[in-house]
Amino acid sequence: MKMADLIDANPNLLLMLQHFNIDFRVSDQTVLQLCTAYGISENLFVSIANLYNGLATKEHQTYTRDDLVQVIDFLKHSHHYYRFDKYPQISSYIRQLQENHSEKELKLLEKFFHEYFTEVIEHLDYEDNIAFPYFITLLTNEADRDRQERYSSIEYGDHHTDIEMKLKDLKHLLLKYVNIENDLNLRRKLFFALYELEFDLYIHSLIEETILIPAGVDIEKGQNA
Amino acid sequence: MRKPSLHIAILEPSRIICEGLQTILYQSDLDCRVHRLETLEELMELLEVTPLDILIVNPLQFVNREKETRKIRKQYPSMSVAGIDYGIIQKQSMLTDLSFTLYDSAEHIIHLLSKLDKKNRAVGLQENEDDNLTKREIEVLTGLVNGKMNKEIADSLHISIHTVVRHRKNITMKTGIRSQSGLTIYAISKKIVAIEDIDI
Repeated sequence: MKMADLIDANPNLLLMLQHFNIDFRVSDQTVLQLCTAYGISENLFVSIANLYNGLATKEHQTYTRDDLVQVIDFLKHSHHYYRFDKYPQISSYIRQLQENHSEKELKLLEKFFHEYFTEVIEHLDYEDNIAFPYFITLLTNEADRDRQERYSSIEYGDHHTDIEMKLKDLKHLLLKYVNIENDLNLRRKLFFALYELEFDLYIHSLIEETILIPAGVDIEKGQNA
Repeated sequence: MRKPSLHIAILEPSRIICEGLQTILYQSDLDCRVHRLETLEELMELLEVTPLDILIVNPLQFVNREKETRKIRKQYPSMSVAGIDYGIIQKQSMLTDLSFTLYDSAEHIIHLLSKLDKKNRAVGLQENEDDNLTKREIEVLTGLVNGKMNKEIADSLHISIHTVVRHRKNITMKTGIRSQSGLTIYAISKKIVAIEDIDI
């Protein structure tokens, strides 16, 4: 299957390519050729592409340690996308909205978003600085692994926060309650940005829950045996 | 005036558990009549002829029958539901008002049930719907928006913390908004509170 055709069928895959750090100019390459060129296993690539296509991965999929290192890279890239692309974009739309309309609750909405954004950044920092380095240590078998013994993959799973919940609140408030009229272009852009963010966050947590955490638990079990 | 005796039904197929609960109830100070039921159907039949104050239920009876259970709860809002917690069902809180385990002391169980009874009398016929939220829910929401803790809200409204939590769940279910700051914006948009009253 040609990658270009897949993108045609589901443009969201562009986001996936970006997270894999693969250039959009995919020429006539097939998925296999592309994977080989970028050193990504086809198994991993297809699993994640399936998530983007709305298909669950098969259970008990096994991934190599190299795969998992790449999963972490992938997740780090998506963090970059949230931090420096999606959230600033949403933030600027809300700012504009606030400037265009006098309704006072928009001020609160902006405050709500900023508090939310701060929480998100904290969560991303936590993953970047604690969770991911832990996984890397686990995967690369470094000698100082014992130093981090108190941390575990399960704990990482527990740490998933209510990021998606607050995003839903924001959407509901804008769809159902906040009194704004007109300005449809701006509001549509804001909605699209929120939905794009929600979609990628959803995939993000699916990758963590169905690929990274189970694999981490497996490795920990193997070590304790 | 002597208050009428409580009508309590126990919906639990195990005869041993039923007998045990019935004995605890009859030996307590609660003036009650106890009905024993084995199925949800029997409960529906009974409700048609006798109003119940409290239903004690094995929540397994609700499994896969959530829709009917909700309907019953809606149809008989004055009936409180106490679930027996077998440690298996996690989401029972939606359908029951409180729960106890078979290892709780008799005193504790009776204490919980009499609290349910009091709450019933207190909450009573307050079903003034406004913007989908009940009067009570609006009061709880107003407290929340003003930054009060559950305990403070409970004290000022003379209800239990448990009831406050239940109202909060209902507010979230009805509005689709879960976070406190989100609810603040909701309350302002709906003009439940004035923006001037809020610290920004």
